[in-house]
Amino acid sequence: MTMSTPKRVLYHVLVGIFALFMIYPILWLAASSLKPNDEIFSTAYSLIPSRLEFANYVSGFMGFGGTTFATFFKNSFIIVVLSTVGAVVSSALVAFGLARTKFFGQKFWFAAMMATMMLPQDVVIVPQYVMFAKFGWLSSFKPLIVPHFFGTPFFIFLIMQFIRTIPGELDEAAKIDGCSKYGVFYRVVLPLIGPALITSAIFSFYWRWDDFINPLIYLNSPDKFPVSLALKLFLDGESLNNWGGMFAMATLSLLPVVIVFFIFQKYIVEGISTTGLKG
Amino acid sequence: MRKALSAVLLFSLITGLIGCSAGGSSDKSASGGDAAPATTTSAGESKDPVKLRIAWWGGQSRHDYTLKVIEMYEKQHPNVTIEPEYAPFDDYWKKLAPQAVAGGLPDIIQMDISYLSQYASRNQLADLKPFTDSGTLNVADVSENALKGGEVDGKLVALNLGVNALQTTFDVETMKENGIDIPSKDWTWDDMGKLGEQAKAKGFQIGGFAYHHEVFFPYYLRTIGQKMYSDDGKTIGYADDQAFIDYFTRYQQWYDKGYILSLDKEAQKKGVAEEDEIVLGHSISGIGWSNQFLAVANLVKDRPLELNPMPGPGTKEGLFLKPSMYFSIAESSKQKEEAAKFISFFINDIEANKLIKGERGVPVSSKVKDALKPILTENEAKIFDYVTWAESNSSPADPPNPIGSVEVEKLLRDLSEKILFKKIPIDQAAAEFRKEANAILARSQK
Amino acid sequence: MKRLRDNEHLTGYVFTSPFVLGFLIFTLYPVLSSLYYSFTDYNLMEAPNWLGLDNYKRMFMEDDKIGKSFQVTFTYVLASVPLRLIFALFVAMILNVATKAVGLYRSAFYLPSLIGGSVAVSIMWQQIFGDQGLVNSFLNLIGIHTSTSWIGNPSTALWTLIALSTWQFGSSMIIFLAGLKNIPKDYYEAAGVDGANAVRRFFNITLPMLSPIILFNLTLQTISAFMTFTPAYIISRGEGGPLDQTLLYSLYLYRKAFSHFEMGYASALAWVMLLIVGFLTLLIFKSSTRWVHYETKGD
Repeated sequence: MTMSTPKRVLYHVLVGIFALFMIYPILWLAASSLKPNDEIFSTAYSLIPSRLEFANYVSGFMGFGGTTFATFFKNSFIIVVLSTVGAVVSSALVAFGLARTKFFGQKFWFAAMMATMMLPQDVVIVPQYVMFAKFGWLSSFKPLIVPHFFGTPFFIFLIMQFIRTIPGELDEAAKIDGCSKYGVFYRVVLPLIGPALITSAIFSFYWRWDDFINPLIYLNSPDKFPVSLALKLFLDGESLNNWGGMFAMATLSLLPVVIVFFIFQKYIVEGISTTGLKG
Repeated sequence: MRKALSAVLLFSLITGLIGCSAGGSSDKSASGGDAAPATTTSAGESKDPVKLRIAWWGGQSRHDYTLKVIEMYEKQHPNVTIEPEYAPFDDYWKKLAPQAVAGGLPDIIQMDISYLSQYASRNQLADLKPFTDSGTLNVADVSENALKGGEVDGKLVALNLGVNALQTTFDVETMKENGIDIPSKDWTWDDMGKLGEQAKAKGFQIGGFAYHHEVFFPYYLRTIGQKMYSDDGKTIGYADDQAFIDYFTRYQQWYDKGYILSLDKEAQKKGVAEEDEIVLGHSISGIGWSNQFLAVANLVKDRPLELNPMPGPGTKEGLFLKPSMYFSIAESSKQKEEAAKFISFFINDIEANKLIKGERGVPVSSKVKDALKPILTENEAKIFDYVTWAESNSSPADPPNPIGSVEVEKLLRDLSEKILFKKIPIDQAAAEFRKEANAILARSQK
Repeated sequence: MKRLRDNEHLTGYVFTSPFVLGFLIFTLYPVLSSLYYSFTDYNLMEAPNWLGLDNYKRMFMEDDKIGKSFQVTFTYVLASVPLRLIFALFVAMILNVATKAVGLYRSAFYLPSLIGGSVAVSIMWQQIFGDQGLVNSFLNLIGIHTSTSWIGNPSTALWTLIALSTWQFGSSMIIFLAGLKNIPKDYYEAAGVDGANAVRRFFNITLPMLSPIILFNLTLQTISAFMTFTPAYIISRGEGGPLDQTLLYSLYLYRKAFSHFEMGYASALAWVMLLIVGFLTLLIFKSSTRWVHYETKGD
């Protein structure tokens, strides 16, 4: 779409103001991370520190008792990358199966998938823990990674809905050309659901990055902690807190998700499948 | 981008066809990073090497010094390796519960008074008596009173690490500047009302009970010779609802007159010292546990704060030494003896306590307390002095709260809100509290 | 013919096998356990005793917090889901143009959804809705003088949560953006030739083509709104106050499970929630046959 110059200026002014409003919290977080410790609360309304306190980043990065944030970041990356790859790949397969093949029990498995999303975590945490204990998986990354290789309901459903926007005639045409279902998936559907896969990957990356309840329960030793969990360790109601360090690391922990989003968002809109067939 | 993605998908499709080994193969790569520690777990064969797990809650400073204490212990006992597990308070209990279910509690567990009954009466915690008897866990310098705080149903299941006492904090300099009378040590509830009036006239407030009626209502009950829970823990312990009515009528008067912070402003606090009303200069007094004094007083750099006893009459009957936190040993632990040795070190070792510096409450060992005195900061010394005074001006603590008390406390909190927001008359709230609390306790004590 | 159809069954299961296996291995046991617990007095530390329907009876006959909690939760869901979706779709439409800065805008609008549930958010939220927060400063500026704490005031507390939820519309926006991208351009080109204006283009092409994605967002946002926990937890310190005005169902459930150790009762709460959300989802799906347009007929 093309716009005339005055229209374009108006567009940028309005959207720009709105964007500024939206990123206020991030600015606030970043500003707080640069404030001296005693200023964070007393001048919380202000976005400008009286002086820039980069030492917060040093003191925060030191972490706890010799385990630094370098370790926490490394752990996060291992968990997040592996589980994201697993979740997207397996979800794409399952979504295709549910959306484009007819088989006995299909409706049941779709319902089971939806129901999995509706049961509150709190009541399955304990039996799940007992189960993983029996597997001998405690204190390792396995409970945090392996289950994601079996499809994530949210992504399965998301990808399914995208597959359903693809005209069925394409499948038929491919079949006539001699493609099997596997061929249809790989040659026809896969190239067209790029935006859905990228979207899933972005979400998965962020959710796994932000998840702290599972690491909290399954990991014991601090040198296995991911960033999300380490951030929570800073605070304690009754003692003097290293607020500056906490805010500094909170800001730093946002960087990977923001970068990942910024890199991948353009694939959502520009599409990785511009050569795909059109309806 | 597209190629990489389809390559991954193709790969998984192929492996998927051969029986879906995607999970299996990733599994290997995932465990690569942690294979080493996993093997050491099973290396407890020979006699000498000991591996202990220890868990606590807290913030950064507690994590840091506790890890140093552990390091010190490991140096002195080269055969012992200690694996620390730490979390913030709320998360700590969420982590501990599944461990208890799976029979995998850490050997040494930091315990809180409100969860003690839960864990102890359900046989999760080991009896420490054999170890105190044998001297493995040395309690020679710990008073009988302090030890008693860790008993549930006559069994010593938790060792007190330190004590706190209720106190009021005064911003004496601001009070003097504004001509507000500083109450004496034996002040009363009426004096507190007068203090509120004077403060209000000068544009200040006094520290209220915030949402912590679960602390201050039982304190009030003690001052009038009553108690919150019956001995068997199956019912509310006071017979006459008048106590409830008196306590909340007085509090509501203060609240309505604006002596204390309004609930909507209280609700937005996160419970950190930085937002304390004294620190902000809005309030001339505060009320809470002795250990909470430190963070507040350290933040108020330009004027000294002082600790004063709680209002009376009946302060001596009301005050008690509250175990700040405990160490317990899991019943499921296979190395109780070694765990006991570490706890003994933690409460008795002078050098270790120079690192701890009373951060877990004023130490229970009199020797440690004496040894620490010279190295304390001014504010720390004030806390030690106050608790020492309280030792001889208080009464024995009530037994640990019964199971269900967490829910009863929540009920009290909800009712206090309804009272102050004028959603319920006080006498009706008193009756409701009794009825509901008794129901909760009955349900919990099956 | 028969062989072919058998093959289709096999193919279906090959593709869905990750989920089927994962469900059997990782999900089934915990789910069935929680169902069993819901009929017991399980307290985590002791073996559960069978109670029959007592937990469910208690929910509907004795527990007077439940009513309040339902009321709060339904208000939250009914207000936050439409607000979030409308915002998300609106912004997605605005950003679905080819401008160089659009990547930056997209990131800016997504950022609030990235800050998650850390303590930092709760402190910041207090800065915005507290008695001396941004909102009040702004109101004072335009002549409305107030020093109320929006978080602490029983009549406004829930609305600060709804505001927080609306403001985090980023994830729905992304999904809409991806959906808009999937609408073939020549549909619009064809419509352009016919001389359709923007409004008609939106209602005749965009909306129907996007309807499967709208269905997805509506379903998922409804489910996740019912399960919302973190914002309520961090804003009321897990208490659901003031006056239970932010006592979202999952907050109540959490408290029963982990601070009162009533896992049996909590499980009953969870299953009732599952039934309610499941029923609503079914309603949405049933209604979707009227308004969702799939390119593949009969599937």
